[in-house]
Amino acid sequence: MKNIGEKIFSTVIKLLTLFSLLILIFIVIFIFKESFIFFREVPILKFITGRTWNPLGDPNKLSIFPIILGTIYVSLIGILIALPIGVGSAIVLSNYTGERFKRYVRGIIDILAGIPSVVYGFIGLLVLVKFFEVRFSFPSGESVLAGGILISIMILPYIISTCSESMEKVYKEYYQYSSALGVSKSYMIRKIVIPESRRAILAGVVLALGRGMGETMAVMMVIGNAPIMPKLLKKCQTIPSLIALEMGMAEVGSLHYHGLFASGFILMIILLLINIILYFIRKSIDV
Amino acid sequence: MSEKIKDSIFKIWLTMSTLVLFIIVVYIFGYIFKNGFDSINLEFIFGNPKGMPLGSEGGVFPAIIGSLLLMVIACIFASILAISTAIYTVFYCNVKKIENIVHLIIQCMAGVPSIVLGLFGYTLLVMYLKLGRSLLSGGITLGIMIFPYIQVRVEKILREVDKSIIESSYALGVSKVYTIFKLILPLCKSDIISTITLAGGFAMGAAAPIVLTAAVIFAPVPRSLSSPVMALPFHLYILTGEGISLEKSYGTALILIVILLIINFISMLLGMKRKEHN
Repeated sequence: MKNIGEKIFSTVIKLLTLFSLLILIFIVIFIFKESFIFFREVPILKFITGRTWNPLGDPNKLSIFPIILGTIYVSLIGILIALPIGVGSAIVLSNYTGERFKRYVRGIIDILAGIPSVVYGFIGLLVLVKFFEVRFSFPSGESVLAGGILISIMILPYIISTCSESMEKVYKEYYQYSSALGVSKSYMIRKIVIPESRRAILAGVVLALGRGMGETMAVMMVIGNAPIMPKLLKKCQTIPSLIALEMGMAEVGSLHYHGLFASGFILMIILLLINIILYFIRKSIDV
Repeated sequence: MSEKIKDSIFKIWLTMSTLVLFIIVVYIFGYIFKNGFDSINLEFIFGNPKGMPLGSEGGVFPAIIGSLLLMVIACIFASILAISTAIYTVFYCNVKKIENIVHLIIQCMAGVPSIVLGLFGYTLLVMYLKLGRSLLSGGITLGIMIFPYIQVRVEKILREVDKSIIESSYALGVSKVYTIFKLILPLCKSDIISTITLAGGFAMGAAAPIVLTAAVIFAPVPRSLSSPVMALPFHLYILTGEGISLEKSYGTALILIVILLIINFISMLLGMKRKEHN
């Protein structure tokens, strides 16, 4: 009797595990299936290198090169801003603070990570975009820069938590030796802690890149959504916002509809690659 | 001398970055609380959206309930799968290679952008399985989104259980199932619930997956799993994006943030309870 229970449980656990892992394959298959119809009409190379997105025109006018560039551009700007702030805070958090203070800051960072992206978008639209329009009298505050700043705030928690975890380990490992040698704390951090945790910083950047590129709502509300070649102070379009905006308008089964799936497919492939890279970076940290 | 200069530049950098972090956090919360406070009253919390265009007057009650229900369904769906997968990798999987593959797949799932999950939910659940734009479709899509998050953390919690307890239990001839249910899960219960609660908060705040699968501009409080729902993040997006009412959007944002803070707080309390036990 006991054995039967054991067997049933282990079978159920195995089936559920299998099912959860199959979800990813389902996602890939379903998105691919819908985009396959599109790729039969428009060759994939043309789709990702062409420069116009005009869903109402002929099939040859459907291509997303500027949109892919926009997606990458916005995230890169975000990382560029967030990296110095994030690494700096991570150093302070892991080397200079006591346990109690650390716990509070961790809590605050968790909360920052938990703020919904719509709320970020809302604040971005009302504060950032308006600020650009009023202070710098841009024709339109909705820009790559606004999206980048917003992304940078959203990815800060990821960069901080990835970096501070590894920095703490390095710090604990070397602190006694370096203080026995009479080396000042900041010198030690500069010469040992930062170089030793460069892989963690890289992991943080890659993770943040993935998050930034997949971010939908916040970015969508501040970048203006114009499928043109991205420039720092001009409007642009990213793949997630393209899908979220136009999916409701596209007629089910039309080329436009399948084109949106195709752009989702491209985005998914890019992000899967990023995450496979991230997996191996993380593995190399653990070893 | 130059070392000294480098040192001070380094210190200035550290101070500045920490300061910026704090200013950002204080500003965001200050902004939402200061502006949202005036538009909150009982009618706003417990009333239906009214006015023309819809949402410019009245309240957000259906959206609050809708969001909470979506969160509950997502949590149930995700935690069943996530806890099973975690138990499998920790207690049943003996081959290192399989474990690595499981981890890689889960990492990849965590990286699938929420809007692509929305597309997936839309094709599979809404179109193929004919569930329609409903509470169930949205809940499952959100569940898929938070599944990797819960799995990674539950696995970590299970691995942190003292190995000697498990070994002694096996040595006494106690079966694996009994050990897991009577020994390990009770030990990690509050930590696991804390993780699920936190993940529920993420699910509740996400708008991208439910834009296509569940949320509508107006729906009454849902009666069944197959009815469409309103959700706070989507409502906020509509109010702001369409420029319907600034005052109401401040209020909606505040309510959303407050509910999430409460969820975070509960999760933190549960996490602390465990630490006191040890």
